[in-house]
Amino acid sequence: MARTAAPPAPLACSYLHPGGGRGGLLGWVLTTDHKRIALLYLYSILGFVAVGVALGLLMRLELIAPGRTIVGASTYNALFTLHGVIMIFLFIIPGIPAIFGNFILPLQIGARDVAFPRLNLLSWHCYIAGAILAVTALFTGGGPPDTGWTFYAPYSIRTTTNVTLAVFAAFVLGFSSILTGLNFIVTIHRLRARGMGWFRLPLFVWSLYSTAWIQLLATPILAITLLLVMMERLFGLGLFDPARGGDPLLYQHLFWIYSHPAVYIMILPAMGVVSEILPTFARRTIFGYKAIAFSSMAIALFGYLVWGHHMFTSGMSDTSRWIFSLLTFLVAIPSAVKVFNWTATLYKGSIDASPPLLFVFAFVFLFMIGGLTGLMQGALSVNVHVHDTAFVVGHFHYVMFGGAGFGLMAALLYWFPKIFGRLYPRRPVYIALGVLFAGFNLLYFPMLVLGWMGQPRRYYDYLPQFQTGHLISTIGSWVLLVGLLILTVTLMRAARRGPWAPPDPWGGTTLEWRTASPPPVENFAVEPAVTGRPYDYGALGRGAAAPEGR
Amino acid sequence: MSRGMGSTLAAPAQTAHHRDAVGAKLGMWLFLFTELLLFGGLFLLYAVYRTRFPSDFHFAATTLDPLVGTVNTLILLTSSLTMVLAVAALERGRRRAAQAFLAATMALGALFLANKASEWAAKIGHGLFPRSGLLLDRTDGENLFYGLYYGMTGLHALHVLVGLGILAVIWGLLARGPRRGGEAAAERGTERLGSEAAAERGTERLGSEAAAERGIQLENAGLYWHLVDVVWIYLFPLFYLIS
Amino acid sequence: MYGPVTSYPASVDATFYFIVAVSLFFLLLVTTLMIVFAVRYRRSRRPRAEQIEGHTLLEIAWTIIPLLLVLAMFHFGFEGFRALRSVPEGAMTVKVTGRMWDWSFRYENGREAAKLYVPVDRAIKLSMTSVDVLHSFYIPAFRVKEDVVPGRETYLWFRPQTTGPADIYCAEYCGQRHAYMMSEVVVLEAEEFEAWLAAGGEEGEKEGVPALLARHACLDCHSLDGSPGVGPTLRGLYGRQRALIVAGREETRVADEAYLRRAILEPDAEYVRDHERNMPAPVGLSEEDLERIIAYIRALE
Ligand code: HEA
Ligand code: HEA
Ligand code: HEC
Ligand code: CUA
Ligand SMILES: [Cu+2]
Repeated sequence: MARTAAPPAPLACSYLHPGGGRGGLLGWVLTTDHKRIALLYLYSILGFVAVGVALGLLMRLELIAPGRTIVGASTYNALFTLHGVIMIFLFIIPGIPAIFGNFILPLQIGARDVAFPRLNLLSWHCYIAGAILAVTALFTGGGPPDTGWTFYAPYSIRTTTNVTLAVFAAFVLGFSSILTGLNFIVTIHRLRARGMGWFRLPLFVWSLYSTAWIQLLATPILAITLLLVMMERLFGLGLFDPARGGDPLLYQHLFWIYSHPAVYIMILPAMGVVSEILPTFARRTIFGYKAIAFSSMAIALFGYLVWGHHMFTSGMSDTSRWIFSLLTFLVAIPSAVKVFNWTATLYKGSIDASPPLLFVFAFVFLFMIGGLTGLMQGALSVNVHVHDTAFVVGHFHYVMFGGAGFGLMAALLYWFPKIFGRLYPRRPVYIALGVLFAGFNLLYFPMLVLGWMGQPRRYYDYLPQFQTGHLISTIGSWVLLVGLLILTVTLMRAARRGPWAPPDPWGGTTLEWRTASPPPVENFAVEPAVTGRPYDYGALGRGAAAPEGR
Repeated sequence: MSRGMGSTLAAPAQTAHHRDAVGAKLGMWLFLFTELLLFGGLFLLYAVYRTRFPSDFHFAATTLDPLVGTVNTLILLTSSLTMVLAVAALERGRRRAAQAFLAATMALGALFLANKASEWAAKIGHGLFPRSGLLLDRTDGENLFYGLYYGMTGLHALHVLVGLGILAVIWGLLARGPRRGGEAAAERGTERLGSEAAAERGTERLGSEAAAERGIQLENAGLYWHLVDVVWIYLFPLFYLIS
Repeated sequence: MYGPVTSYPASVDATFYFIVAVSLFFLLLVTTLMIVFAVRYRRSRRPRAEQIEGHTLLEIAWTIIPLLLVLAMFHFGFEGFRALRSVPEGAMTVKVTGRMWDWSFRYENGREAAKLYVPVDRAIKLSMTSVDVLHSFYIPAFRVKEDVVPGRETYLWFRPQTTGPADIYCAEYCGQRHAYMMSEVVVLEAEEFEAWLAAGGEEGEKEGVPALLARHACLDCHSLDGSPGVGPTLRGLYGRQRALIVAGREETRVADEAYLRRAILEPDAEYVRDHERNMPAPVGLSEEDLERIIAYIRALE
């Protein structure tokens, strides 16, 4: 695995063991070091993923057969609500930016830290506070919320379950997300290393930059919408209550103005990861650097204009429906451009089929299925049929989990040696990937079929004609779990006992590989300067992005 | 700290960004932008319901007293002025004056809140509040008007309150004087850089640097205060002047 | 893609399969290329990569071609949608009311039913509203769906092609029994339908109270046999002490006739303790039916 022959000596002064009285729990939860904050996010997010996965598995068990299997209807409704809230607000939105953005972004631009380290820590504290509130909502008030992650009014205003607290939790989490985005924008504007012009930025940085803008522009709308739901429940302002002239459709508009762009918050960073991994393992420059960079910004921009595609059957005007449909199709183009450029990057490369690269292949395949089913939903007449069916559930698991989720796993595998300073064995990771991939398709492909057959979503119970699909799907969920366990165990072992990693185990060209693994507290021994573009494997092997005066 | 990596600490350029005034301002502007969007959602709702129920809105607005609104507008505008004066004073190094202007700003903000509270109390005393028996008998449009009135001015008042908190903190920091503030900054520097780096930097320089940091903080707080003011400038005509 | 020749569902399917075909093409193309490249240019065979920066013509090609394809997709979807939204002249209108968790259908002659009976090969327009929260009226077999929104009227139309029953679902999450908010559309021959419609007024009279309760969705929440549900069981209710929440305060009252009347007509005035607060007021419940229900509950020992 290691490209460099000499086994490096363990680094005595990495950020993990800095010495000088900074050990202990407080040294972690009060740290302002972006790398430590990244690890805090990693562990807390993985903890919540585990909860979300458990809820998902429970749902699948309930749906293994028609009628009541293990839980009652109200419990099931609470299950998918919490599953959705956890997976969206606690896992996939913060996911890559908060973990790998925090860790890698300053390294990749040659900075010592993010622009506002204390604000960065505050973001994490907001995240934890929001997560604790979300969990508290389970056990207090009138029982766990049962509205679906979309909190549609007027049901969310009428139900006696603990929606107020859950909504407040999402509000606090939104705050955390805004602060992270703000921090990244300023960091990218102000702290690039000498010589790193905009078109010398690694593509991961580009993707984080566009993501940060979406976080900044969209999250406040969600914040106010959720605040209004709270005020509605506490004081009864009546703004979304049809009984008093309020319009529930306005709620949906406000919700999706945030939540559609939010799906790009989830996928753009994963696309950035893919754009990093491909050149490294093909050992060649990326195909169409500018096309990929601009398509990120295009997705961020156009992503604002298509929220109405979640409302094709909501009762809004016919004109808005077809305009939103047209725009939805247009926003698919930049994604297509990215996929084609990635494929072309493999052409005449020198390809090492390493674990991160194979996860990227899985990503591209699954994301394509997700994206292409998105096109089917974008077509008006087809959407009318599949809206709010299991088809949509299939679509978004393919893009969110198959896309962003596999992207996150690829990122972890790619930067694992940098973060932990250790190497992991390849073979169990390959096995894990195979199992994950098979389980994934077993779990979610039947949902596409079921949805097309007319199985509505958020259904506790179903008619016998849907049984086969549900059964296969439930089996798939357990296969998937096995894959996840293999991966987790392998990585946990490696993080503690793997062989030491050299600074640049994969032969990457971006700046994060120019420092020790794991990096020292200060990131770089010498302030790096950049003299060429990233992924410049042509220039004398790989010297182009190397720091000056080494 | 450690042996092998000692050379890292000899790279002072790495630390320059911790006093990045432009970066701090950029961050603040971005934050203000998100605040505008936050209120933007409410303005959107207002616009929609206003077009849907124009006459109800007109009628409901007659129950609000434009005089109270005008007085509050004047109060907030004056407070923005004192805020500007505070920033200008600190820029010229006149710490005491800055503190005085800041105190005036806070007093005006508190006055605004008191005024607002008495207005709300009067409305609620008349039975005009969401879900009140009086309102339930009125038209949908009037109910929505009051829903928006309480929602928007309430959220705005919350922002004034937060603004007061921020100003108070900065007032406290100013009161401690630039020198002690400098030491605080040195401590914070130590936390990040290791003691050698901190030792390397003269106390003299830290003092002026800390003063500059106070300046940035005060300026940013000022920006926030102006935002709160601007939002009110829009709320005022929407609720008080349309009748 | 639609019109008198093919039916509306067939046109939706055609659009769907067109997009599936395009999708399969790109899915297979990209997947195959990835695998072929990965094998062909593997490092052991090809230690040095060729550095290719990009290709403007290719970039343009793979922007324009997908663009044209998605415009075609949009077009087909739009055409189908236009058909769905343009109700033909002379369509028969049925009023649909959604409530937690039941559908009811009201015909032009005043006949009400819990199933949607329609004549074959005739345009049917549904004019829909909800009395409580959002629901969504969905007939998968006809490929139609539209949300049912309180405070506003939405519509859809279809023209059934063959006789027989088909499922109706609620597709918008609406609370605990969302999954059970089902009904059926029953397509009859024209004469059969006319006969059914004409029989209208009387059937209401003939129906027993349990059927009446079922039609007003009461039985979705209340049992008649003492088993627990969303709402308290109606068995043995009469004459009991009820622990209530009235205007935020706890009170106890005896369930007499006046109480039952209030509990049914103004469910939001008083709540039974430890229960959800989502009972909707019944729509179109006549005074006579109300009295029959109360008498029935009284007798239900
Ligand atoms: C990571 C998150 C993510 C991403 C990236 C996407 C991407 C897309 N989504 Fe998805 N979507 C969700 C998450 C996401 N979505 C979620 C969570 C929901 C449901 C929310 C809820 O109701 O709970 C949803 C729902 C949803 C709906 C509403 C369904 C309904 O409820 O009725 C629609 C409708 O248009 C839609 C469309 C699309 C489209 C067109 C894209 C496009 O951006 C996809 C672009 C990608 C490709 C096109 C594939 C790659 C390209 C090629 C292989 C080349 C060939 C391409 C062409 C010929 C164009 N999505
Ligand atoms: C990223 C988001 C995400 C993920 C990963 C999942 C994972 C799963 N989901 Fe998902 N799901 C949602 C987001 C997600 N879900 C959302 C938003 C909804 C809508 C809720 C609503 O309707 O309101 C939903 C709804 C939903 C439903 C529909 C409920 C209904 O409509 O009735 C079902 C049904 O079976 C389901 C099943 C599952 C299962 C079995 C899993 C998993 O448990 C499968 C097992 C997964 C794993 C074993 C791997 C997970 C690990 C990772 C992704 C990476 C971890 C990283 C490292 C190890 C590095 N989910
Ligand atoms: C959506 C579910 C739902 C439907 C439909 C519903 N109810 Fe109820 N009902 C409840 C709930 C929940 C309560 C308890 C809270 C309350 O008093 O409002 C209740 C309370 C009652 C009570 C008082 C019971 C007691 O124990 O004191 C009566 C009587 C009643 N309902 C009758 C009816 C009738 C008759 C109908 C049909 C016309 C009906 N309900 C439809 C949910 C429902
Ligand atoms: Cu009605 Cu779901
Ligand atoms: Cu969307």
